[in-house]
Amino acid sequence: MGVNKLKTISLKVNGVTKEIAVEDNELLLNTLRDKLGITSVKAACWRGECGLCTVLLDGIPVKSCMTLSVEADGKEVITAEGLYSDERAKKLMESFVKHGALQCGFCTPAFVVTSHYVLSKNPEIDGEELKKELNGVICRCGTYYQIYDAVKDAEKYYKKEKSY
Amino acid sequence: MSFTTPYFTLPKFVYLKPSTLEEALSMLKQYKGKAKVKAGGIMLINLMKERQIVPEYVIDLKNIKELKTINITQRGVEIGSMVTAIELQNSKEIKELCPTLAKAASFMGDRTLQHTVTLGGNISVAMPSTDGLTALMSMDSMLEIKSAEERRFIHSSELVIGLGKNSLKEDEIITKIIVPYNGDVKGTYLKFLNASEVAIATVAVTAHLNKKKFALVVGALAPKPYYFNNESLQWNWEEPVSVNIQRASEIVSKTVEPMSDVVASSEYRKHISKVLTARALKEVFGGE
Ligand SMILES: Cc1cc2nc3c(=O)[nH]c(=O)nc-3n(C[C@H](O)[C@H](O)[C@H](O)COP(=O)(O)OP(=O)(O)OC[C@H]3O[C@@H](n4cnc5c(N)ncnc54)[C@H](O)[C@@H]3O)c2cc1C
Ligand code: FES
Ligand code: FES
Repeated sequence: MGVNKLKTISLKVNGVTKEIAVEDNELLLNTLRDKLGITSVKAACWRGECGLCTVLLDGIPVKSCMTLSVEADGKEVITAEGLYSDERAKKLMESFVKHGALQCGFCTPAFVVTSHYVLSKNPEIDGEELKKELNGVICRCGTYYQIYDAVKDAEKYYKKEKSY
Repeated sequence: MSFTTPYFTLPKFVYLKPSTLEEALSMLKQYKGKAKVKAGGIMLINLMKERQIVPEYVIDLKNIKELKTINITQRGVEIGSMVTAIELQNSKEIKELCPTLAKAASFMGDRTLQHTVTLGGNISVAMPSTDGLTALMSMDSMLEIKSAEERRFIHSSELVIGLGKNSLKEDEIITKIIVPYNGDVKGTYLKFLNASEVAIATVAVTAHLNKKKFALVVGALAPKPYYFNNESLQWNWEEPVSVNIQRASEIVSKTVEPMSDVVASSEYRKHISKVLTARALKEVFGGE
Protein backbone atom coordinates (compact mmCIF):
# COMPACT_ATOMS: atom_id res chain seq x y z
CA MET A 1 0.00 0.00 0.00
CA GLY A 2 3.00 2.27 0.16
CA VAL A 3 1.85 3.70 3.46
CA ASN A 4 5.30 4.37 4.79
CA LYS A 5 6.68 6.12 1.73
CA LEU A 6 7.64 9.73 2.23
CA LYS A 7 6.33 12.31 -0.16
CA THR A 8 8.30 15.38 -1.10
CA ILE A 9 6.27 18.54 -0.85
CA SER A 10 7.24 22.01 -1.89
CA LEU A 11 6.39 24.61 0.70
CA LYS A 12 7.18 28.30 0.64
CA VAL A 13 7.73 29.10 4.29
CA ASN A 14 8.16 32.74 5.27
CA GLY A 15 9.45 33.60 1.82
CA VAL A 16 11.79 30.65 1.33
CA THR A 17 10.74 27.70 -0.81
CA LYS A 18 11.66 24.35 0.67
CA GLU A 19 11.40 20.75 -0.44
CA ILE A 20 10.39 18.68 2.55
CA ALA A 21 9.88 14.93 2.90
CA VAL A 22 6.66 14.25 4.77
CA GLU A 23 4.40 11.34 5.57
CA ASP A 24 0.80 11.30 4.41
CA ASN A 25 -0.45 11.42 7.99
CA GLU A 26 1.83 14.25 9.09
CA LEU A 27 0.26 17.42 10.47
CA LEU A 28 1.47 20.78 9.20
CA LEU A 29 1.99 21.69 12.85
CA ASN A 30 4.60 18.90 13.20
CA THR A 31 6.32 19.76 9.95
CA LEU A 32 6.67 23.40 10.96
CA ARG A 33 7.77 22.82 14.54
CA ASP A 34 9.72 19.57 14.40
CA LYS A 35 11.22 19.68 10.92
CA LEU A 36 11.63 23.40 10.33
CA GLY A 37 12.08 24.58 13.92
CA ILE A 38 9.41 27.27 13.66
CA THR A 39 8.46 27.53 17.30
CA SER A 40 6.14 30.53 17.20
CA VAL A 41 3.54 28.01 16.06
CA LYS A 42 2.35 26.60 19.37
CA ALA A 43 0.91 23.17 20.01
CA ALA A 44 -1.68 23.04 22.74
CA CYS A 45 -5.04 21.34 22.24
CA TRP A 46 -4.29 19.43 19.00
CA ARG A 47 -8.00 19.42 18.17
CA GLY A 48 -8.84 22.72 16.57
CA GLU A 49 -10.13 24.45 19.66
CA CYS A 50 -7.46 26.86 20.89
CA GLY A 51 -6.08 28.35 17.69
CA LEU A 52 -2.52 28.65 19.04
CA CYS A 53 -1.21 26.73 16.02
CA THR A 54 -2.69 29.25 13.54
CA VAL A 55 -0.65 30.07 10.43
CA LEU A 56 -1.50 31.78 7.16
CA LEU A 57 -1.83 29.25 4.34
CA ASP A 58 -1.92 31.07 1.02
CA GLY A 59 -2.89 34.12 3.05
CA ILE A 60 -5.81 32.52 4.91
CA PRO A 61 -5.66 31.68 8.63
CA VAL A 62 -5.81 27.95 9.29
CA LYS A 63 -5.18 25.80 12.32
CA SER A 64 -2.06 23.80 11.51
CA CYS A 65 -3.04 20.97 13.87
CA MET A 66 -6.05 20.40 11.61
CA THR A 67 -4.11 20.62 8.34
CA LEU A 68 -2.20 17.82 6.61
CA SER A 69 1.26 18.72 5.36
CA VAL A 70 0.57 16.98 2.03
CA GLU A 71 -2.44 19.22 1.66
CA ALA A 72 -0.18 22.29 1.81
CA ASP A 73 1.98 21.10 -1.08
CA GLY A 74 2.74 23.99 -3.43
CA LYS A 75 1.36 26.55 -1.01
CA GLU A 76 2.79 29.41 0.99
CA VAL A 77 2.93 29.40 4.79
CA ILE A 78 3.45 32.54 6.82
CA THR A 79 4.09 32.46 10.56
CA ALA A 80 4.85 35.22 13.04
CA GLU A 81 8.56 34.87 12.18
CA GLY A 82 7.77 35.71 8.57
CA LEU A 83 5.96 38.89 9.54
CA TYR A 84 9.13 40.65 10.72
CA SER A 85 9.82 41.61 7.12
CA ASP A 86 6.43 43.36 6.88
CA GLU A 87 6.63 46.93 8.13
CA ARG A 88 2.95 47.05 9.03
CA ALA A 89 3.09 43.79 10.95
CA LYS A 90 6.14 45.02 12.83
CA LYS A 91 4.13 48.02 13.98
CA LEU A 92 1.31 45.68 14.93
CA MET A 93 3.68 43.67 17.11
CA GLU A 94 4.99 46.87 18.72
CA SER A 95 1.40 47.79 19.41
CA PHE A 96 0.94 44.51 21.32
CA VAL A 97 3.89 45.51 23.52
CA LYS A 98 2.66 49.08 23.95
CA HIS A 99 -0.77 47.92 25.09
CA GLY A 100 0.50 45.10 27.27
CA ALA A 101 -1.54 42.74 25.13
CA LEU A 102 0.03 39.63 26.61
CA GLN A 103 0.85 38.08 29.91
CA CYS A 104 2.62 34.75 29.36
CA GLY A 105 2.82 35.41 25.61
CA PHE A 106 1.94 31.87 24.55
CA CYS A 107 -0.99 33.02 22.41
CA THR A 108 0.73 36.11 21.00
CA PRO A 109 2.07 34.68 17.71
CA ALA A 110 -1.37 33.29 16.84
CA PHE A 111 -3.07 36.60 17.64
CA VAL A 112 -0.47 38.53 15.64
CA VAL A 113 -0.86 36.29 12.61
CA THR A 114 -4.67 36.37 12.78
CA SER A 115 -4.93 40.11 13.36
CA HIS A 116 -2.44 40.76 10.56
CA TYR A 117 -4.84 38.88 8.28
CA VAL A 118 -7.83 40.81 9.63
CA LEU A 119 -6.25 44.25 9.28
CA SER A 120 -4.84 43.49 5.82
CA LYS A 121 -8.39 42.69 4.75
CA ASN A 122 -10.10 45.53 6.56
CA PRO A 123 -8.13 48.24 8.39
CA GLU A 124 -11.32 49.98 9.49
CA ILE A 125 -12.96 47.12 11.26
CA ASP A 126 -15.74 47.71 13.73
CA GLY A 127 -14.92 46.74 17.33
CA GLU A 128 -17.56 43.99 17.55
CA GLU A 129 -16.52 42.61 14.17
CA LEU A 130 -12.92 42.49 15.35
CA LYS A 131 -13.87 40.42 18.38
CA LYS A 132 -15.65 37.98 16.10
CA GLU A 133 -12.72 37.83 13.68
CA LEU A 134 -10.36 36.92 16.49
CA ASN A 135 -12.61 34.37 18.20
CA GLY A 136 -10.63 31.42 16.85
CA VAL A 137 -7.75 32.05 19.23
CA ILE A 138 -7.91 31.58 22.98
CA CYS A 139 -5.82 33.59 25.45
CA ARG A 140 -5.66 31.67 28.70
CA CYS A 141 -4.32 34.74 30.50
CA GLY A 142 -7.39 36.69 29.44
CA THR A 143 -5.69 39.66 27.81
CA TYR A 144 -8.46 40.02 25.21
CA TYR A 145 -9.25 43.68 25.79
CA GLN A 146 -5.60 44.69 25.56
CA ILE A 147 -5.38 42.66 22.33
CA TYR A 148 -8.42 44.42 20.84
CA ASP A 149 -6.89 47.79 21.79
CA ALA A 150 -3.53 46.85 20.30
CA VAL A 151 -5.10 45.77 17.03
CA LYS A 152 -7.37 48.83 16.80
CA ASP A 153 -4.37 51.05 17.46
CA ALA A 154 -2.38 49.39 14.67
CA GLU A 155 -5.14 49.96 12.09
CA LYS A 156 -3.48 53.14 10.86
CA TYR A 157 -0.45 51.25 9.61
CA TYR A 158 -2.64 49.09 7.41
CA LYS A 159 -4.48 51.91 5.69
CA LYS A 160 -3.36 52.55 2.13
CA GLU A 161 -2.28 56.15 2.56
CA LYS A 162 0.42 55.97 5.19
CA SER A 163 -0.72 58.54 7.69
CA TYR A 164 1.69 57.73 10.49
CA MET B 1 3.78 14.14 27.45
CA SER B 2 4.64 12.55 24.16
CA PHE B 3 3.50 14.02 20.89
CA THR B 4 3.72 10.67 19.15
CA THR B 5 0.92 9.02 21.10
CA PRO B 6 -2.55 8.75 19.55
CA TYR B 7 -4.66 11.86 20.04
CA PHE B 8 -1.77 14.06 18.91
CA THR B 9 -1.06 12.06 15.79
CA LEU B 10 -2.99 10.54 12.94
CA PRO B 11 -3.05 6.84 12.12
CA LYS B 12 -1.34 5.87 8.86
CA PHE B 13 -3.29 6.26 5.64
CA VAL B 14 -2.74 6.91 1.96
CA TYR B 15 -3.61 10.44 0.89
CA LEU B 16 -5.34 10.87 -2.46
CA LYS B 17 -6.12 14.18 -4.08
CA PRO B 18 -8.32 13.78 -7.15
CA SER B 19 -8.82 16.86 -9.30
CA THR B 20 -12.16 15.89 -10.82
CA LEU B 21 -15.39 14.56 -9.38
CA GLU B 22 -15.28 11.50 -11.69
CA GLU B 23 -11.83 10.63 -10.39
CA ALA B 24 -12.96 11.01 -6.78
CA LEU B 25 -16.03 8.80 -7.33
CA SER B 26 -14.03 6.09 -9.04
CA MET B 27 -11.51 6.10 -6.17
CA LEU B 28 -14.38 5.76 -3.72
CA LYS B 29 -15.68 2.82 -5.70
CA GLN B 30 -12.26 1.17 -5.94
CA TYR B 31 -11.56 1.54 -2.21
CA LYS B 32 -15.13 1.04 -1.07
CA GLY B 33 -15.29 0.53 2.68
CA LYS B 34 -11.61 1.46 3.14
CA ALA B 35 -11.76 5.11 2.19
CA LYS B 36 -13.13 8.30 3.72
CA VAL B 37 -13.59 11.54 1.89
CA LYS B 38 -12.13 14.67 3.40
CA ALA B 39 -13.84 18.01 2.95
CA GLY B 40 -12.53 20.66 5.38
CA GLY B 41 -11.18 17.79 7.46
CA ILE B 42 -12.11 19.44 10.73
CA MET B 43 -14.25 16.58 11.99
CA LEU B 44 -12.50 13.82 10.06
CA ILE B 45 -9.05 14.68 11.45
CA ASN B 46 -10.33 14.85 15.03
CA LEU B 47 -12.13 11.50 14.73
CA MET B 48 -8.99 9.96 13.22
CA LYS B 49 -6.82 11.34 16.02
CA GLU B 50 -9.20 9.69 18.47
CA ARG B 51 -9.02 6.48 16.38
CA GLN B 52 -12.80 6.52 16.04
CA ILE B 53 -12.30 6.17 12.29
CA VAL B 54 -9.18 4.64 10.80
CA PRO B 55 -9.52 4.70 7.01
CA GLU B 56 -6.81 3.19 4.81
CA TYR B 57 -7.34 5.92 2.24
CA VAL B 58 -8.27 9.57 2.61
CA ILE B 59 -9.72 11.13 -0.53
CA ASP B 60 -9.37 14.90 -0.34
CA LEU B 61 -12.09 16.80 -2.20
CA LYS B 62 -10.30 20.15 -1.94
CA ASN B 63 -9.02 20.23 -5.52
CA ILE B 64 -12.38 19.63 -7.15
CA LYS B 65 -13.46 22.97 -8.57
CA GLU B 66 -16.99 21.99 -9.54
CA LEU B 67 -17.84 21.33 -5.89
CA LYS B 68 -16.96 24.90 -4.94
CA THR B 69 -19.45 26.89 -6.98
CA ILE B 70 -22.71 28.66 -6.16
CA ASN B 71 -25.10 28.82 -9.10
CA ILE B 72 -28.61 30.16 -9.61
CA THR B 73 -30.54 27.78 -11.85
CA GLN B 74 -34.16 26.95 -12.59
CA ARG B 75 -34.12 24.52 -9.71
CA GLY B 76 -33.04 27.22 -7.28
CA VAL B 77 -29.77 28.06 -5.59
CA GLU B 78 -27.28 25.24 -6.17
CA ILE B 79 -24.48 25.22 -3.62
CA GLY B 80 -21.45 22.99 -4.14
CA SER B 81 -20.77 20.77 -1.13
CA MET B 82 -17.22 22.19 -0.78
CA VAL B 83 -18.35 25.80 -0.37
CA THR B 84 -16.95 27.02 2.97
CA ALA B 85 -18.74 28.65 5.89
CA ILE B 86 -16.95 31.94 5.17
CA GLU B 87 -17.97 31.82 1.49
CA LEU B 88 -21.60 31.25 2.52
CA GLN B 89 -21.49 34.37 4.68
CA ASN B 90 -19.80 36.49 2.02
CA SER B 91 -21.85 35.40 -0.99
CA LYS B 92 -24.33 38.00 -2.19
CA GLU B 93 -26.63 35.28 -3.56
CA ILE B 94 -26.67 33.34 -0.30
CA LYS B 95 -27.28 36.44 1.80
CA GLU B 96 -30.15 37.48 -0.43
CA LEU B 97 -31.77 34.16 -1.27
CA CYS B 98 -30.78 31.98 1.70
CA PRO B 99 -30.54 34.36 4.68
CA THR B 100 -31.12 31.53 7.17
CA LEU B 101 -28.08 29.65 5.88
CA ALA B 102 -25.87 32.73 5.78
CA LYS B 103 -26.61 33.30 9.44
CA ALA B 104 -26.20 29.63 10.42
CA ALA B 105 -22.80 29.60 8.69
CA SER B 106 -21.58 32.25 11.12
CA PHE B 107 -21.92 29.63 13.89
CA MET B 108 -20.08 26.76 12.17
CA GLY B 109 -17.08 26.72 14.49
CA ASP B 110 -14.98 29.78 15.26
CA ARG B 111 -14.01 32.37 12.69
CA THR B 112 -10.70 30.69 11.82
CA LEU B 113 -12.30 27.26 11.35
CA GLN B 114 -14.99 28.80 9.15
CA HIS B 115 -12.38 29.31 6.41
CA THR B 116 -11.99 25.52 6.35
CA VAL B 117 -15.38 24.03 7.33
CA THR B 118 -17.52 23.13 4.30
CA LEU B 119 -21.31 22.89 4.03
CA GLY B 120 -21.16 19.29 2.76
CA GLY B 121 -18.85 18.21 5.60
CA ASN B 122 -20.87 20.07 8.19
CA ILE B 123 -24.11 18.26 7.36
CA SER B 124 -22.45 14.86 6.82
CA VAL B 125 -21.10 14.65 10.38
CA ALA B 126 -24.65 14.17 11.70
CA MET B 127 -23.93 15.65 15.11
CA PRO B 128 -26.55 17.64 17.04
CA SER B 129 -23.94 20.36 17.57
CA THR B 130 -23.61 21.30 13.91
CA ASP B 131 -25.64 24.11 12.40
CA GLY B 132 -25.90 23.48 8.66
CA LEU B 133 -28.63 20.86 8.50
CA THR B 134 -31.08 22.73 10.74
CA ALA B 135 -30.88 25.71 8.40
CA LEU B 136 -31.10 23.59 5.24
CA MET B 137 -34.20 21.74 6.49
CA SER B 138 -35.99 25.02 7.16
CA MET B 139 -35.30 25.97 3.54
CA ASP B 140 -36.71 22.64 2.28
CA SER B 141 -33.38 21.95 0.61
CA MET B 142 -32.62 18.91 -1.49
CA LEU B 143 -29.27 17.15 -1.62
CA GLU B 144 -27.69 15.82 -4.79
CA ILE B 145 -25.84 12.59 -4.05
CA LYS B 146 -23.50 10.84 -6.44
CA SER B 147 -21.61 7.58 -6.70
CA ALA B 148 -19.65 6.33 -9.72
CA GLU B 149 -22.85 4.63 -10.95
CA GLU B 150 -25.72 6.71 -9.82
CA ARG B 151 -27.07 10.13 -9.09
CA ARG B 152 -29.97 10.58 -6.68
CA PHE B 153 -31.71 13.35 -4.78
CA ILE B 154 -32.92 13.28 -1.20
CA HIS B 155 -34.62 15.83 0.98
CA SER B 156 -32.28 17.33 3.57
CA SER B 157 -34.47 15.83 6.33
CA GLU B 158 -33.58 12.33 5.08
CA LEU B 159 -29.83 12.69 5.60
CA VAL B 160 -29.32 12.05 9.30
CA ILE B 161 -30.38 8.68 10.67
CA GLY B 162 -28.68 8.67 14.06
CA LEU B 163 -25.88 10.12 16.15
CA GLY B 164 -22.91 10.46 13.79
CA LYS B 165 -24.77 8.40 11.17
CA ASN B 166 -26.02 9.52 7.79
CA SER B 167 -27.95 7.69 5.11
CA LEU B 168 -25.18 7.79 2.48
CA LYS B 169 -23.69 4.58 1.12
CA GLU B 170 -19.95 4.05 1.43
CA ASP B 171 -19.27 5.02 -2.18
CA GLU B 172 -21.53 8.08 -2.23
CA ILE B 173 -20.84 11.74 -1.64
CA ILE B 174 -23.00 14.82 -1.41
CA THR B 175 -22.18 16.95 -4.41
CA LYS B 176 -24.71 19.75 -4.19
CA ILE B 177 -27.21 21.36 -1.91
CA ILE B 178 -30.22 22.66 -3.81
CA VAL B 179 -32.36 25.36 -2.23
CA PRO B 180 -35.66 25.78 -4.09
CA TYR B 181 -36.51 29.30 -5.07
CA ASN B 182 -39.83 30.26 -3.49
CA GLY B 183 -39.97 33.99 -4.01
CA ASP B 184 -39.68 36.56 -1.25
CA VAL B 185 -37.73 35.04 1.54
CA LYS B 186 -37.14 36.02 5.14
CA GLY B 187 -35.16 33.94 7.52
CA THR B 188 -33.23 33.79 10.71
CA TYR B 189 -31.11 31.39 12.72
CA LEU B 190 -30.77 31.62 16.50
CA LYS B 191 -28.41 29.62 18.66
CA PHE B 192 -28.47 29.45 22.44
CA LEU B 193 -25.11 28.54 23.99
CA ASN B 194 -24.06 27.57 27.49
CA ALA B 195 -21.06 29.23 29.16
CA SER B 196 -18.58 26.94 27.41
CA GLU B 197 -20.21 27.71 24.07
CA VAL B 198 -21.94 24.39 23.55
CA ALA B 199 -25.39 24.62 21.94
CA ILE B 200 -28.45 24.04 24.13
CA ALA B 201 -30.87 24.62 21.26
CA THR B 202 -30.97 26.26 17.85
CA VAL B 203 -33.92 27.50 15.81
CA ALA B 204 -34.04 28.15 12.07
CA VAL B 205 -37.00 29.89 10.46
CA THR B 206 -37.42 30.39 6.72
CA ALA B 207 -40.56 32.14 5.51
CA HIS B 208 -42.04 32.95 2.11
CA LEU B 209 -44.51 35.64 3.01
CA ASN B 210 -45.95 35.97 -0.51
CA LYS B 211 -46.97 32.31 -0.30
CA LYS B 212 -48.04 32.45 3.36
CA LYS B 213 -45.69 29.61 4.11
CA PHE B 214 -42.90 29.00 6.55
CA ALA B 215 -40.86 26.24 8.13
CA LEU B 216 -39.32 26.23 11.58
CA VAL B 217 -36.65 23.71 12.56
CA VAL B 218 -35.29 23.12 16.04
CA GLY B 219 -31.76 21.72 16.26
CA ALA B 220 -29.14 20.65 18.83
CA LEU B 221 -31.73 18.69 20.84
CA ALA B 222 -31.11 15.29 19.27
CA PRO B 223 -29.14 13.91 16.30
CA LYS B 224 -31.98 14.81 14.00
CA PRO B 225 -33.49 18.30 13.99
CA TYR B 226 -37.25 18.70 14.57
CA TYR B 227 -39.20 20.02 11.59
CA PHE B 228 -42.33 22.19 11.88
CA ASN B 229 -44.21 24.36 9.41
CA ASN B 230 -47.08 26.83 9.52
CA GLU B 231 -49.59 23.99 9.37
CA SER B 232 -48.14 21.87 12.15
CA LEU B 233 -47.74 25.02 14.24
CA GLN B 234 -51.46 25.84 13.59
CA TRP B 235 -50.51 29.29 12.34
CA ASN B 236 -53.60 31.33 11.50
CA TRP B 237 -52.75 34.29 9.25
CA GLU B 238 -55.98 36.06 10.28
CA GLU B 239 -55.00 36.16 13.93
CA PRO B 240 -52.55 38.58 15.58
CA VAL B 241 -48.90 37.54 15.37
CA SER B 242 -48.51 37.44 19.16
CA VAL B 243 -51.34 34.91 19.52
CA ASN B 244 -49.77 32.76 16.82
CA ILE B 245 -46.32 32.93 18.38
CA GLN B 246 -47.69 31.95 21.78
CA ARG B 247 -49.45 28.91 20.30
CA ALA B 248 -46.52 27.92 18.08
CA SER B 249 -43.96 27.98 20.86
CA GLU B 250 -46.28 25.89 23.07
CA ILE B 251 -46.60 23.31 20.29
CA VAL B 252 -42.82 23.19 19.85
CA SER B 253 -42.18 22.65 23.53
CA LYS B 254 -44.85 19.93 23.73
CA THR B 255 -43.49 18.10 20.69
CA VAL B 256 -39.73 18.00 21.14
CA GLU B 257 -38.06 15.30 23.21
CA PRO B 258 -34.55 16.61 23.83
CA MET B 259 -31.67 14.47 25.03
CA SER B 260 -30.30 14.96 28.54
CA ASP B 261 -26.54 15.15 28.82
CA VAL B 262 -23.72 16.95 30.63
CA VAL B 263 -24.53 20.09 28.66
CA ALA B 264 -28.17 20.43 29.68
CA SER B 265 -31.16 18.52 30.96
CA SER B 266 -34.02 17.61 28.70
CA GLU B 267 -36.35 20.06 30.50
CA TYR B 268 -33.93 22.94 30.12
CA ARG B 269 -33.47 22.25 26.41
CA LYS B 270 -37.28 22.08 26.03
CA HIS B 271 -37.67 25.42 27.76
CA ILE B 272 -34.95 27.08 25.67
CA SER B 273 -36.53 25.67 22.47
CA LYS B 274 -39.76 27.40 23.39
CA VAL B 275 -38.06 30.71 24.15
CA LEU B 276 -35.93 30.61 20.99
CA THR B 277 -38.95 29.68 18.86
CA ALA B 278 -40.79 32.76 20.10
CA ARG B 279 -37.74 34.98 19.52
CA ALA B 280 -37.13 33.68 16.03
CA LEU B 281 -40.77 34.05 14.99
CA LYS B 282 -40.86 37.55 16.41
CA GLU B 283 -37.77 38.44 14.41
CA VAL B 284 -39.35 37.20 11.19
CA PHE B 285 -43.00 38.26 11.66
CA GLY B 286 -42.67 41.23 14.00
CA GLY B 287 -45.28 41.63 16.70
CA GLU B 288 -44.92 43.04 20.19
C1 LIG C 1 -13.66 23.38 18.28
C2 LIG C 1 -14.70 23.19 17.22
C3 LIG C 1 -15.94 23.77 17.37
C4 LIG C 1 -16.91 23.63 16.39
N1 LIG C 1 -18.15 24.20 16.58
C5 LIG C 1 -19.10 24.05 15.64
C6 LIG C 1 -20.40 24.60 15.80
O1 LIG C 1 -20.68 25.20 16.81
N2 LIG C 1 -21.30 24.43 14.81
C7 LIG C 1 -21.01 23.75 13.66
O2 LIG C 1 -21.85 23.64 12.80
N3 LIG C 1 -19.80 23.23 13.47
C8 LIG C 1 -18.84 23.36 14.42
N4 LIG C 1 -17.60 22.81 14.22
C9 LIG C 1 -17.32 22.16 12.95
C10 LIG C 1 -18.02 20.82 12.83
O3 LIG C 1 -17.91 20.13 14.02
C11 LIG C 1 -17.41 19.94 11.78
O4 LIG C 1 -16.12 19.66 12.23
C12 LIG C 1 -17.31 20.53 10.44
O5 LIG C 1 -18.45 21.20 10.07
C13 LIG C 1 -17.03 19.48 9.43
O6 LIG C 1 -16.88 20.07 8.18
P1 LIG C 1 -15.65 19.68 7.29
O7 LIG C 1 -15.84 20.35 5.98
O8 LIG C 1 -14.39 19.99 7.99
O9 LIG C 1 -15.87 18.12 7.14
P2 LIG C 1 -14.87 16.88 7.26
O10 LIG C 1 -14.29 16.82 8.61
O11 LIG C 1 -13.92 16.89 6.13
O12 LIG C 1 -15.88 15.70 7.04
C14 LIG C 1 -16.79 15.30 8.04
C15 LIG C 1 -17.36 13.91 7.71
O13 LIG C 1 -18.22 13.97 6.59
C16 LIG C 1 -17.72 13.23 5.51
N5 LIG C 1 -17.89 14.10 4.33
C17 LIG C 1 -17.32 15.32 4.12
N6 LIG C 1 -17.76 15.86 2.98
C18 LIG C 1 -18.64 14.99 2.45
C19 LIG C 1 -19.45 14.99 1.27
N7 LIG C 1 -19.45 16.01 0.40
N8 LIG C 1 -20.22 13.91 1.03
C20 LIG C 1 -20.25 12.87 1.90
N9 LIG C 1 -19.52 12.81 3.03
C21 LIG C 1 -18.73 13.86 3.31
C22 LIG C 1 -16.29 12.89 5.84
O14 LIG C 1 -15.90 11.65 5.31
C23 LIG C 1 -16.31 12.89 7.34
O15 LIG C 1 -16.72 11.64 7.83
C24 LIG C 1 -16.62 22.92 15.22
C25 LIG C 1 -15.36 22.33 15.05
C26 LIG C 1 -14.40 22.45 16.04
C27 LIG C 1 -13.07 21.80 15.87
S1 FES D 1 -3.28 23.28 18.83
FE1 FES D 1 -4.30 23.65 16.97
S2 FES D 1 -6.11 24.61 17.61
FE2 FES D 1 -5.19 24.10 19.50
S1 FES E 1 -0.95 35.88 27.13
FE1 FES E 1 -0.99 33.96 28.10
S2 FES E 1 -2.30 32.86 26.78
FE2 FES E 1 -2.49 34.83 26.05
